[in-house]
Amino acid sequence: MEKVSFIIAEKSFVIRTGLMKIINSFTETIIIKEVTEYKTIIKYVNKLNPDFLIINLKFIEDAYDDIRKMFSENIKTKFIIFTGTKRSKEHFAYFDEQISVDDDKTTILKKIQVLISGIIPYGNEDNNELSEREKEVVKQIALGKTNKEIAEELFISVHTVITHRKNITGKLGIKTVSGLTVYAILNNIIEINEAS
Amino acid sequence: MLITKKTKLAEVIHQNYHLIPIITRFGINFGFGDKNVEQICEKYDIRQDFFLEIINAFNDEDYSPINKLQNLPLEITVSYLLKSHQYFNKVKLPHIENLISKLEWTSAENKKNKSILNKFFIQYRKEVTEHTLHEENEVYPFIIEIEKNYNLSQNNIDFYRLLEKKSVIKYAETHDELNTSLLDLKNIIIKYLPPSDNIDITEQILNEIFDLEKDMKDHTDIENSVVIPVAIKMENKLRKRFNLK
Ligand SMILES: [Fe+2]
Ligand SMILES: [Fe+2]
Repeated sequence: MEKVSFIIAEKSFVIRTGLMKIINSFTETIIIKEVTEYKTIIKYVNKLNPDFLIINLKFIEDAYDDIRKMFSENIKTKFIIFTGTKRSKEHFAYFDEQISVDDDKTTILKKIQVLISGIIPYGNEDNNELSEREKEVVKQIALGKTNKEIAEELFISVHTVITHRKNITGKLGIKTVSGLTVYAILNNIIEINEAS
Repeated sequence: MLITKKTKLAEVIHQNYHLIPIITRFGINFGFGDKNVEQICEKYDIRQDFFLEIINAFNDEDYSPINKLQNLPLEITVSYLLKSHQYFNKVKLPHIENLISKLEWTSAENKKNKSILNKFFIQYRKEVTEHTLHEENEVYPFIIEIEKNYNLSQNNIDFYRLLEKKSVIKYAETHDELNTSLLDLKNIIIKYLPPSDNIDITEQILNEIFDLEKDMKDHTDIENSVVIPVAIKMENKLRKRFNLK
């Protein structure tokens, strides 16, 4: 499953480590970049297009009436502002969320949880059942076929086979051919004596 | 906790028992009383700076040993990597294989489950052995040669011939992870294998896999971030020296 991506822009090592620990405590998240230099924030956000940017207020003090103007219009990024002390929310109308250094653990975790569930709706992440098509691809892999052979066998393009394989690995948490073979046998997708 | 030369080794283990195999890998045996890292390293003739980097990196994920290790002789790092290979192949993998062979199911599927798990693991062991043997026979000795020649003042013709045929860059391009199949095995056991009659053995197997996986990951990280880039740098300079492309 696609993870919810974060960039953390924070100069202080202590605070950055804390923020990263919080974000990493969710299984659905991934931190794709830590930024410590003001100059590079815009570049990285525009390039990596994360789901969220957590940014220290100090970095954007001048532009804080509308942070979006700092970045490309094409990004999907939502902005979480990190503030040293509590400030009223009206000041940050253009932010999607605010985390304060005074927030307690539960408060922060809840805020992040809500933000994540805005990206991955609940109930969605549980559907790890393989489709019939994917089962067929698993079968072919377990029989020892190459991507090209599978494509020919199932009348699909090699590209589609690769996409299926990616999705299968995402759903099952199994990547290697021998791992998928074990899965196929355990689930009676192939017989043990058919395995390559 | 940052482990320094003044830290008592007993304390290190109390604080993080996962470091035990790393410590024994250096040839250190137990019963070390109140000796600190400095004293232990002296006793066992271990390079203290290297030991501290490895042990701190294993102890704390945020500790990066890369810079310091890059500045130590590759020979030291490589000899540590060799010991890790031995530990994987001679201790850990046989142990896990043995545990797996003990799993039983009181169902008609018993034979099938046993046979596919064993087959999977034997195949994996074979892959690891091939990977490590290739490094031990081809890659590591070549890298040691590179370092030796890099430190020589004059050009060695035999090494010139070797450099015409071999390159660390080629190895770097095809260097795989060691632990991909372990990730698969974890999920197979946790999610897909029907529950066996031996929950205690399953628990041991999972613990062993989690440990080994981290050990292998650190191992591959050292190869990819220390040994390979340093060797490539040296190789490139040597190629220039020899006017080789
Ligand atoms: Fe290795
Ligand atoms: Fe390796």
